[in-house]
Amino acid sequence: MENSATCFHCNAEILPGQLVTGSRGGESLDFCCRGCLGAWLLITGAGLGDFYRRREWLEPGICADAYQGEYHDSFLSRYVYAKGESSAIDILIEGIRCATCVWLNEKIIGQLPGVSAVRVNYATNRARVLFDPGTVSPSTIFTRIAELGYVPRPYTSSAAEERSHRERKDLLVRFGTAFFLTMQLMAYSFALYAGYFQGIGPDMKLTMQLFSLLVTTPVVFYAGAPFLRGGWRGIVNRAPNMDLLIAIGALSSYGYSIYATLTGGEVYFETAAMIVTLILAGRLLENSAKQRAAAGVERLLGLTAGEAKRVTGGGVESVAVADVRAGDLLLVGPGERFLVDGRIAEGTTDVDESPATGESLPVVKNDGDRVIAGSINLTCAVRIVCEHPASDSFVARVARLVEEAQSRRAPIQGVADRAAAFFVPAVLFLSAATFSWQYALHVETGSALMTALAVVVIACPCALGLATPMAILAGTGAAAVSGVIFKGGDILERLSRVTVAVFDKTGTVTRGEPAVVAIDPAPGFAVRELAAMAAAVECAAQHPLARAVRDYALMNGIVPAVGDDLRTVPGGGVLGLHEGKMVAVGNPRFLARLGVEGLPAEIDVPAGGTVACIACSGRYAGAIVFRDRLRDDAPAVIAHFRERHIRCILLSGDSRETVRFIAGSLGIGEWEGEMTPEEKTAFVERLRTKGETILMVGDGINDAPALSAADVGCAIAGGTDIALETSDLILARPDLARLAFAHATARRTMAVIRQNLGWAFIYNIVGIPLAMTGRLTPVYAAAAMALSSLCVAGNSLRLTGTKHG
Amino acid sequence: MDSSIIALIVLSLFLGCGCWLIFIWAVKKGEFDDVERPKHRMLDDDDSR
Repeated sequence: MENSATCFHCNAEILPGQLVTGSRGGESLDFCCRGCLGAWLLITGAGLGDFYRRREWLEPGICADAYQGEYHDSFLSRYVYAKGESSAIDILIEGIRCATCVWLNEKIIGQLPGVSAVRVNYATNRARVLFDPGTVSPSTIFTRIAELGYVPRPYTSSAAEERSHRERKDLLVRFGTAFFLTMQLMAYSFALYAGYFQGIGPDMKLTMQLFSLLVTTPVVFYAGAPFLRGGWRGIVNRAPNMDLLIAIGALSSYGYSIYATLTGGEVYFETAAMIVTLILAGRLLENSAKQRAAAGVERLLGLTAGEAKRVTGGGVESVAVADVRAGDLLLVGPGERFLVDGRIAEGTTDVDESPATGESLPVVKNDGDRVIAGSINLTCAVRIVCEHPASDSFVARVARLVEEAQSRRAPIQGVADRAAAFFVPAVLFLSAATFSWQYALHVETGSALMTALAVVVIACPCALGLATPMAILAGTGAAAVSGVIFKGGDILERLSRVTVAVFDKTGTVTRGEPAVVAIDPAPGFAVRELAAMAAAVECAAQHPLARAVRDYALMNGIVPAVGDDLRTVPGGGVLGLHEGKMVAVGNPRFLARLGVEGLPAEIDVPAGGTVACIACSGRYAGAIVFRDRLRDDAPAVIAHFRERHIRCILLSGDSRETVRFIAGSLGIGEWEGEMTPEEKTAFVERLRTKGETILMVGDGINDAPALSAADVGCAIAGGTDIALETSDLILARPDLARLAFAHATARRTMAVIRQNLGWAFIYNIVGIPLAMTGRLTPVYAAAAMALSSLCVAGNSLRLTGTKHG
Repeated sequence: MDSSIIALIVLSLFLGCGCWLIFIWAVKKGEFDDVERPKHRMLDDDDSR
């Protein structure tokens, strides 16, 4: 079978040792895990096997958290609201990649008894489910979605989102109105063009012009209102911007045309209407690019409001994090995140603090030790006493740092606004010069004024309004297809001018989790034997080293047996029975405490690595060496920036030794270790005051303030929510090569924007002399406008062809 | 002849306004919120068994 190496459901490669086979109706298929098999059984069982033929999945694999969620009605019921006769809940479904995924979800949820209607919005990946609360519970719906390999999250729309949604509708109505009226106007204009060449009666001409005036007025004053307001703000702030240029162009051609109508001249109504319509089209494109980015970010964000388990006299109750008070006793199970800062009241466990501190290996916590919000409990259930309410936890403090950093960041003026700032005064000067020149030639004052106005009309090209949005839409669109999400058009611009790239270590240039690099057996033991032994006793542990052992075993085709009588000793290791023999895996101190014989006095630990020892039946059996490996594509990205003379710097909260080792293996000369979030932010800000433009790449909570302090903050999918939320640029797959692609795309897009602006101005340069000498006719003006807009659109579309990889 | 042209123009404006009102209604109703899914939806309900 040719596709024997990939999972039938998720298309991911099946590692030896993972293989699960399923059969139904005579077919036998391979899957990478029980979850995928379950999803397949569910889908084919519902008679929707068509899904596999119709879906268009470009990338293999499914969401990392698929099949894992547990959903409780106590938590979900908060998101349920009444809608008519039945209840409704809004769900954000992660993992939707094509229209067929939408179809599958609608069908499968719709088949649940008690569900009356399901609508999934493909653009935003949101589902609205109407159900009868008596027959079906929200958790059943959630579990069903999770069984399919998608990740459901309850969802309520934020105020900001409602606002942007309203803005989009408003823009759409304005554009629709402008477009409809401009179409009407074109009919009258063509009559006037024909009249210009073939002759037209003065009455008819006046009638056509009056109709033109009738349809143009709402275009300028209703559809164009945002530009008029923006332009006015530009005047008040003494910062000429794009809006001002557009407002001047539209108003001057409108005013000129009214005068021409009254005196029997040629009118420019269509110029006024076209400027507004085309630029509204540009804004709409820009808005949809932004909206797509916002939806992408939301998809990557996890549950921001978790629920905590509070221990009370009678038992355990679940409460919203916001309701947890200082002094409350909370239960945190293995694999769960600490949601508040606190001290351990009972129990010992290993805690993964890497999201908060950047330290790559877990830390042991005993009674009375502090735990930080955002870190993950790995091995044992513990009870903690909350020290600060959630609003004052470490994460909340970091969020405040982020806000401060963001408020310090000066807004940047886009390239089009910069061009306008120079262009507006230049146009006004040329127009004034034209007037005085015509006046000096003893032309009648009225006619000289008209010529001067014509200069302004021709100088405000529609193409200028399309130049930036078209290129940005094409650029961000091409990037989004390749899994790079830009949160706004200005990010492209800043990224293209970056001079320093600052990288976080843990989880950014390294994978953030250790991997087995070597197994060193004691005499009498074999490598495979050790791996099988270790994997068997580590089979249930959450510790990253245990995961590394399991992955190693799977990679080498060892099907991990499940050990018996497993015990985890926090800060030490694990103990268990494998094939009747007592096996212990853990750090040397732990084995020494167990009284293992033959333990070597000295085990050499390679730089940046960790060692775990294995003992079998009380005898030393060998050692496993782990190391946090570099991401495969990290060196290539560093090389990409180096070639373009961009300084690379490595920052980390981890120990200096480890940072030095990683910096050395990447060939990065500048590095700093043991940095707190505040120090990282200060470091970035210091560089900024030296006039550098900074790209910061990170993924942890501790990177978040630095991400927002930098000119461009880049987070990688799988990082913490706060990092994703504060960054400007997101790599939707944990693949650093996309960063180089994003940088190249940004540079290409900026080049296209400059070309576009250049094109727009070239048409001006041709048109302005014609206007200054009074030879410009509306026909020339219309032709120049159409040509320049087409050039700009065509040039921008070149960007859509670029793909990653 | 002129008056007939003017009558036709006015008529076209009225018709256009009708279309424009339909458009406004469609935007308000959220018909443009998801423009990707409906084009596939018509292919789906072919009784998938």
